Amino acid sequence: MENILESVSSGFANYITFILRFVTPLLSGLILYRCGKSLLRGRGESETWGYLCLPNGGRIYLNHWENIIGRNRSCDALMEFPTVSRIHGALIRDSRGGWKVYDLNSKSGILVNGEKAERSAPVKSGDILTMGGVQLTFMDLNEEQLARQAEARTKPGTIVRPGITLMLLTELQLLLGIQHYIAMGEEADIMIPLSFAVLAGIMWVYYLFMRILRRRGVEIETLAFFLCTLGLSVTATAVPSDMIKQLVFVTAGLFVFLCLGFFLRDLERARKLRWPIAVVGVLMLTATLVIAKSTNGAKNWISIAGFTFQPSEFVKICFVFAGATTMDRLFAKRNLILFMAFSALCVVTLGLMSDFGTALVFFAAYLIIAFIRSGDFATIFLSAGGAALGGFLILTVKPYIKDRFSTWGKAWQFANEGGYQQTRTMAAAASGGLFGVGAGNGWLHTVFAAETDMVFGLICEEHGLITGVFAIGALVLLALFAIKAAATARSSFYVIGACAAVTMLLFQLILNVFGSLDILPFTGVTFPFVSRGGSSIIACWGLLAFVKAVDTRQNASFAIKLPKRKRKKDTFYTIQDGYDFSGYDPERHEV
Amino acid sequence: MNRVKRRTMSLLSLVLIIAMGLSFYVYRYAVHGREWASFTSNKAVFSQGQLMVGTVCDRNGAVLATVDDGRRIYNEDPVIRRSTLHAVGDQYGNIGTGALSVFAPELIGYDPVNGAYTPDRKGGKVRLSIDSGLNAAAYEAMDGRKGVVAVENYETGEIVCMLSSYNYDPYYPPEDVSTPEYEGVYLNRFLSAAYTPGSTFKLVTLTAALERIPDLFDRTFECRGSVEIDGEYVTCTGTHGEIDINEALAVSCNCVFAELAVELGGDTLERYANDLGLTGSIKVSGIKTASGNYDKAADGSVDLAWSGIGQYNDSVNPAAMLRFVSGIANGGTAEEQTLLYGKSSGSDRIMKTSTAETIAKMMNYNVYYTYGEDNYPGLELCAKSGTAEVGGGADPHALFVGFIRDEKHPYAFVVIVENGGSGSRTAGRVANAVLQAAVNK
Repeated sequence: MENILESVSSGFANYITFILRFVTPLLSGLILYRCGKSLLRGRGESETWGYLCLPNGGRIYLNHWENIIGRNRSCDALMEFPTVSRIHGALIRDSRGGWKVYDLNSKSGILVNGEKAERSAPVKSGDILTMGGVQLTFMDLNEEQLARQAEARTKPGTIVRPGITLMLLTELQLLLGIQHYIAMGEEADIMIPLSFAVLAGIMWVYYLFMRILRRRGVEIETLAFFLCTLGLSVTATAVPSDMIKQLVFVTAGLFVFLCLGFFLRDLERARKLRWPIAVVGVLMLTATLVIAKSTNGAKNWISIAGFTFQPSEFVKICFVFAGATTMDRLFAKRNLILFMAFSALCVVTLGLMSDFGTALVFFAAYLIIAFIRSGDFATIFLSAGGAALGGFLILTVKPYIKDRFSTWGKAWQFANEGGYQQTRTMAAAASGGLFGVGAGNGWLHTVFAAETDMVFGLICEEHGLITGVFAIGALVLLALFAIKAAATARSSFYVIGACAAVTMLLFQLILNVFGSLDILPFTGVTFPFVSRGGSSIIACWGLLAFVKAVDTRQNASFAIKLPKRKRKKDTFYTIQDGYDFSGYDPERHEV
Repeated sequence: MNRVKRRTMSLLSLVLIIAMGLSFYVYRYAVHGREWASFTSNKAVFSQGQLMVGTVCDRNGAVLATVDDGRRIYNEDPVIRRSTLHAVGDQYGNIGTGALSVFAPELIGYDPVNGAYTPDRKGGKVRLSIDSGLNAAAYEAMDGRKGVVAVENYETGEIVCMLSSYNYDPYYPPEDVSTPEYEGVYLNRFLSAAYTPGSTFKLVTLTAALERIPDLFDRTFECRGSVEIDGEYVTCTGTHGEIDINEALAVSCNCVFAELAVELGGDTLERYANDLGLTGSIKVSGIKTASGNYDKAADGSVDLAWSGIGQYNDSVNPAAMLRFVSGIANGGTAEEQTLLYGKSSGSDRIMKTSTAETIAKMMNYNVYYTYGEDNYPGLELCAKSGTAEVGGGADPHALFVGFIRDEKHPYAFVVIVENGGSGSRTAGRVANAVLQAAVNK
């Protein structure tokens, strides 16, 4: 009897936790499912930007801004004529609507209205292109046609309503706030639940802003907000006094995300500025190397006017810019070599700072970019070999790095030495089971760097393995979306940008999670969006803008310009006419 | 764009790495999560190395150790506290084989779904096989002498009484354990010590003789108080004259068993000692016991003769000895020993049923002939005593092992009183006290 009374009085908070701890994985799963469904369902409608009329009346639709013409099966505009080279030329549209044709070292060259195009020549609607003796009429789509196309395309957010997903996330945020408040007991601070409410507020303001811009696709941001919510929970556990700081970082990140997204709208501008941006990146790294102070082995922090930040985080964005390129440059070797040199410079500088985790992240992004650009495995193997050699040299020059690697895979043998953090991570994660011990009830935060390097353990401890897996899943979803979006992307600049950004996020995740679990060496990089820390969160939001820029679903992304609104309802056009530019079945449609 | 599009599939390699890494982690979590959660630095359940959750009960549900308000508390009876010290363990983890250490995952309440989380934050419950009342009886009977008292239910393998002496009250741990009094106090002597078996080892030689010498029961032996082997003498406890094997065991005749040992040979005795589980380490609820030892002496040597009567370099772990006599009691099948309530999961046949029954009958005859049935009122006892010389001028260790034939109380026992002198007299009395308590509950 005494026992029952006792557990009723003292156990109230415990039983709330008992129930709520199932809610976190449940809501996380629902949010992930809804975002995933919305991002990945269907084949993805392509856009049509123009077409080529063949002499026989057939049409070849141009579904990207950058189209390779040739008789190779991989060409975007496939011309099965023996006189046409395998890769003959490229038709490329810029973001302002101007078209150019490029001769990609074809045998017979390209004639525009009968005149030979040297390397490239501008083309406009109605021009006659001659390739290998075949005459093609190039037809552009005008603003009105583009607007109609836009009208006809499916818009996201109709089947999976983003508002409901955001409401689920808001619920999660509020419940986490309450859980933390309860878990703090006598030291309960109203600032904690309030901070979660503010995060929800920021999210809704952002959503309304998007609606004003007529944008309905916010899955990518929702995933980031979901991760930031977990990050805020981590902060509430580890450093409750830093809640406001963390909110400021998220807001700043969102701001950077918006700025970059708008910047990326104009492909010309982005393309022109990419090398200046790369130079800024190199300067930042060099400056860091010279003036940074050393923290915990890695010399990568700069302190200016009381603000400490990690420049290498922001250089990630510069790196993506430097790596992304449009199709016409893709065939220029000089471009790739320049990029390789830039990458090597970044990786070596980071190596000199002893920031090997970040160096690896850069290197992984380099590999993916190099592969997407060249499709050449030799380049990849060569680079990987070079990096392995470099890594080996570093290990011999800096033996203390070797020490860190020596306990890799043997954390439990060196539980109080090299495996200290990993064993604590695993013990705490095992304590949490599948559903966690409840927000604010863990102990791992008392271990150094728990809220950054070992954050996966902290999430697993408090919210359970399921939520931990969902957090990983959120970033994996971004990768899957980038692959899917590439199919209908406008420019290779955006595709490479998105893939490079996702690679950085995923590779960072791999090093962070598996490093803390002793599956990989412990390198001390952050878990994107979740780990506490300003530079990291802001940079992650910045990288996310590249994913946003590849999202060409109709009215989905603010980083994609919409065609001008039609002034009034068209008199001659109805959807019933089957007016469709998707290009999948051109036979059925007439323009 | 089509080419670029296809190459974006390279991102799948990262997704694959994540999937593989995560699968590997989940696998490790499923297999090792229990150990991870039981890591003494897991502050969810440990505080400075002390387990701060979980309740240990005896087989009747009496609480031996629990946690209240962040403090480890033990049974209120100081005798039960002392007598169950080694079974339960101390809060500092000095007694590594105590339940608080060995059953930490269960006490934490760990399961892969909920981790170490329990709604009331008090952890899990472990119900031991021991009866704290029997432990208390054993404690009283030992009266402060060092040694071991253990009782096993030979049908289920449950250890129902396990006392290791010397011990102390866990509320008042000794500050200095270097004094002779506290020698080896952190060891559970039942699990982690090995003793010279003395005459109790004659049961092993007997087992081998029964199975290897067909005319054993037709033989008569002549005991003249000592026997010359390889130019040296093995002395006997008395001059027993002309006796058969029944009487030889009952009077524990060294001459007869020395001759049998020489006749059987070192190889055979070694094989039997191994097969009966007396030399290697065995597992009791996952705890590895101390190994015993049997050194094979040269054939025909006096050392071989001594090794057949439990001297020379022989040593046996009490748990292994208890398993051996339980096997005899249980018709030749030894149940796997367990410290947790409920029948154990496995068993091993260690000898033929007919051999076991014959030995049991002879051990019962020992009581009738030598130890005196009156000393064990109401018990149908089968036993063998041992008086193991330890040298150095100290009194020999007293050993008494055996079992009672009682459907309701299928108990086997081992009692060792260090420097207790005569086996049957000293250790036998302790055994009787504990068995009476067990039967007359």
